[in-house]
Amino acid sequence: MMKKCLCLLLCLTMLCLSAGAALAETVALKVWGSQEDQELLAELCEAFAAEHPETTYEFTFGVVGEADAKARYLEDPAAAADVFSYPDDQIIDLVNADALYEVTRNHDEIVAANSVGSVNAASVGGVLYGYPMTADNGYFLYYDTSVISDEDAKSFDTLLAAAEKAGKKVQIDISNGWYLAGFFLGNGCTLTLDENGNQICDFNSEKGLKAAEAVRAICNHPAYTSGDDTVLQGGMGDAICAGISGTWVAAALKERLGDNYAAAKLPTFTVDGEQVQMGSFLGCKILGVNTQTQHPVEAMELAEYLTSEEAQIRRYEVRGYGPSNLKAAASEAVSADVALSALAAQSEFGVSQHVLGAFWTPAEAFGAELEAHSEADLQTLLDQFVSQVTAQ
Amino acid sequence: MRQKGERTAGILRHGNGWTRLSALVMGAGCLRYGQIVKGLLYLGFEALYFAFFFGFSWPYLSRFPTLGTSAQSRVWDEAAQIYRRVPGDNSMLILLFSVVALASLALLAAVWRLNLKSAWRLEQKAARHEPIPRFREEVGTLMDERFHVTLLSMPMLTLVLFTALPIAFMILIAFTNFDSTHQPPGQLFTWTGLTNVTDVFLGNEVKTRTFFGILGWTLVWAVLATFTNYILGMLLAVIINHRVVRLKKLWRTCFVIAIAVPQFVSLLLISRSLEPQGAVNVALMALGWIDDPLPFLTDPTLARVVVVVVNMWIGIPYTMLTFSGVLLNIPSDLYESAQMDGAGPVRQFLSITLPYMVFITAPATITTFVTNINNFNVIYLLTAGGPFSLDYYQAGKTDLLVTWLYKLTVDQHDYALASTIGIFIFMIVSSCSLAVYNHTGAIRREDQFQ
Amino acid sequence: MSNPRSMKRYNMRLSVILHTLLAVLSLLWLLPVAWLLLSSFRAEPGAYTSYLLPKSYTLNNYVRLFTDTALFNFPRWFLNTLFVACCSCLITTVLSLMVAYVYSRLRFPSRRKLMNVSLVLGMFPGFMSMIAIYHFLKAIGLDQTLLALILVYSGGAAMNYYIAKGFFDTIPKSLDEAAILDGATRSVVFWKIILPNSKPIVANLAINAFIAPWVDFIFVSVIMKDNYNNYTVAKGLYTMVDKANIYRYYTVFCAGAVVVAVPIVLLFIRLQKYYVAGVAAGSVKG
Repeated sequence: MMKKCLCLLLCLTMLCLSAGAALAETVALKVWGSQEDQELLAELCEAFAAEHPETTYEFTFGVVGEADAKARYLEDPAAAADVFSYPDDQIIDLVNADALYEVTRNHDEIVAANSVGSVNAASVGGVLYGYPMTADNGYFLYYDTSVISDEDAKSFDTLLAAAEKAGKKVQIDISNGWYLAGFFLGNGCTLTLDENGNQICDFNSEKGLKAAEAVRAICNHPAYTSGDDTVLQGGMGDAICAGISGTWVAAALKERLGDNYAAAKLPTFTVDGEQVQMGSFLGCKILGVNTQTQHPVEAMELAEYLTSEEAQIRRYEVRGYGPSNLKAAASEAVSADVALSALAAQSEFGVSQHVLGAFWTPAEAFGAELEAHSEADLQTLLDQFVSQVTAQ
Repeated sequence: MRQKGERTAGILRHGNGWTRLSALVMGAGCLRYGQIVKGLLYLGFEALYFAFFFGFSWPYLSRFPTLGTSAQSRVWDEAAQIYRRVPGDNSMLILLFSVVALASLALLAAVWRLNLKSAWRLEQKAARHEPIPRFREEVGTLMDERFHVTLLSMPMLTLVLFTALPIAFMILIAFTNFDSTHQPPGQLFTWTGLTNVTDVFLGNEVKTRTFFGILGWTLVWAVLATFTNYILGMLLAVIINHRVVRLKKLWRTCFVIAIAVPQFVSLLLISRSLEPQGAVNVALMALGWIDDPLPFLTDPTLARVVVVVVNMWIGIPYTMLTFSGVLLNIPSDLYESAQMDGAGPVRQFLSITLPYMVFITAPATITTFVTNINNFNVIYLLTAGGPFSLDYYQAGKTDLLVTWLYKLTVDQHDYALASTIGIFIFMIVSSCSLAVYNHTGAIRREDQFQ
Repeated sequence: MSNPRSMKRYNMRLSVILHTLLAVLSLLWLLPVAWLLLSSFRAEPGAYTSYLLPKSYTLNNYVRLFTDTALFNFPRWFLNTLFVACCSCLITTVLSLMVAYVYSRLRFPSRRKLMNVSLVLGMFPGFMSMIAIYHFLKAIGLDQTLLALILVYSGGAAMNYYIAKGFFDTIPKSLDEAAILDGATRSVVFWKIILPNSKPIVANLAINAFIAPWVDFIFVSVIMKDNYNNYTVAKGLYTMVDKANIYRYYTVFCAGAVVVAVPIVLLFIRLQKYYVAGVAAGSVKG
């Protein structure tokens, strides 16, 4: 009923416009965001409407978190939101399905205002497909300063040794391709896409083998423990003294550790006696404009507003998300944030996540082998791993 | 039974003008012989059908052979400074609604035949000067001689809409290239014939290995899951219903509480507690029984044992309830005569209780076996198919065919491959179970049994 | 065995053994449930703790579940689920009984074929057709509504006639033959003779149909998409344990699971007698 009314309204407005009547136009836009972001979204959208009094906006909000955006979109593009946020790892599938409008209006301003990493993450084949919204989808090291000194946190060798001495554990989710890839990327391997959109991955090269050996050594260390975020959040402070994760666990860890809460860039690991900096994915959340929208121009204006400097600062204040906007990131509050500073320090070693869906399962299988202290030949495992990742 | 003259061609050849006219204008025969309401209903149906066909079906059906020719395209709009999208064909919707259109054609054919038949019968009746049944009388038969039509119409409608048509759609997808690189609205997909089938069984070594590996484990799992639950559930029921056991209802309730907690909650909890840092390992280490955490969910063999054991936790309460009921139904005179023969409790159990229960629950066991082949929840929520394996294509060592399918569709958007595998599971499961159902003695002779 | 004293001793020993065994087994079965209860009263947040028993207890998780509705509107979801469960329970039960009655009692030409087809169709993995079902519902304007969910949950009724048919087969046919001789139509036979004799199977069908909406989280995601207000408890609870929420909401999630389990347990306890009789009789002829 609602939809029909809107359609009718639209038709009427079209008629009015074509007749040259300068009546106020009603623009209905649907925005998707996660449950926790709803209130903030409503607030920002209202502010946007207030800035554009010449048009009457009608916003509807749908609860679809970033993680589900692609799945929900592809099930029914026409029913999807006009403006929706998604993590950068979904961008390739969305672009393949022609789901996203290219950013063509104010393109240069947007590129200039946001960090290079976030703009890269929002681009496919050199075309910008979205408005960078946050630049915090990466990972770094959290640690408990009562056990680990800032110096210990610089390399895995010292970190694990300090943890072992205290009888505590260091958590890394090796059986998760997202974290596992950091070791390979750090040692100079590539994981990206060619111009036809096929996966390129050289983790089975000599460098990859060295990285895998280092991972195996870490997994076999007595102070190492596997486990996901919940293990880190639940064990930090008692059984666990350090762990690798992203900003979404920051609040919980701060609460648990109190004054002992600290974060830093990822540690270095040992390859042939040399210290090699662990790399990482540098992800961001992006606002996209649905190609099925009735109001592309207005939707783009809204998306641009929702990712502007003020909006990003507000998003940091309310939700703690790290801004992709350079000015917002340089603001006093953001630069004083422990987790975000660690992320920023890591960002120079980060790469954009241009990875197809086929990567994750074999990566998890490979990581799980190492976590289980498997004695299998690493080169064979890596060859299998890469052949699955690059299979078409 | 069918009279010779009732074949459609026969009716058209031998019928009079009004009957033949019914082939074009449905309900004409009924109207001619005074069945006004019925005639109008046929006519109304025809009119509505054509409106539906040309208004809704045709745009899809006409593109069914190609599944669409023009994808969504872009045009530069200088004024707005954007690439405006020009809507194109959506292959998925074309395929889906073509299935609906084809089904509606089948419906039309059926109603058309009914209409011809009733016109022919009316013609015959009129020729023999028999009374023409009134509309109300015909409706009345729906409550008696044709009561099955009344009762079945609603369930069959939902069956067709929510099960049969979607299945037809999924089967057709197996013959297309609908995968992650051919997603609407940006891309079209099209017919590719049997390539998916040959890919799974001949072309792609990894996929073939995965399919047969998972198929093997699925069968092993189904056998283990069915029989562990069957045997232990039966034992539990026998124990609870033993004459020396008191508070039978309390014991039963204890087990029932376990199944009342939604599976997605209980399995999530169990899965968490089996992790290296989880409650079970923590408890075992605190007791000093083990030094290192046991890899419950990461070691392939152990993970397979774990899913079978946890499935027992889920399933045994159900089988226990079933067997409790069966036990109550065993005719007591059987025991009395056995006692007269001097049979002890063990002999009584082996010669009366056990055979009786096995005989009676045989058909239900087959159903359970089939359900276990498609047992999604336990595997997906407990291990999600893991531990994943590098020899498998996007699958793990505890994956069943059905969970692999789920991941292929939901995570990989590889619908074509998933449908192909879905068809094979379906063929295996349905042919087995039909064979069993139609050859089990009790079922084959069900008519005489009553 | 004929000696009464040794018989008594044997019974005593047997009773002790069986009761101990049952106690151990119930403990095993109740352990995860107890763990769930403990977690729902745990004051410390988080999905994982490195110790077994909570350090402190609180009722706050339950209070939050019903009052902290800005993020997770559990009361509304609970009512949605209750509504959907009641409606689909009613529809499914009636439809299944109708189908079972037809196959058990009425004879018509394509009966055997229909029975086989409906049996076999139920074996196709259901979630593969979710997207198709969603688009059908959208075509008739029902997407994202509770009515759509009710239709989806009761749509399979024609396929689970199996146990109920087995039950009907055990009701003596002479009953309806006598009634038909007295001039009753088959409709009257169904409502007046078969149904009143079918309490156990009705209870069985109703329980199963009632539980389904409380535990399904896959269909509801596809049907409801972004319409958060029409979620059911299962889908809603599931969103509490995603990456961003799990630390703060895990214990609330456990509380929610307990609240969901309570009506199901009560239903089971109340209808256990019928449920057992229904399954048993149904599987006799299956």
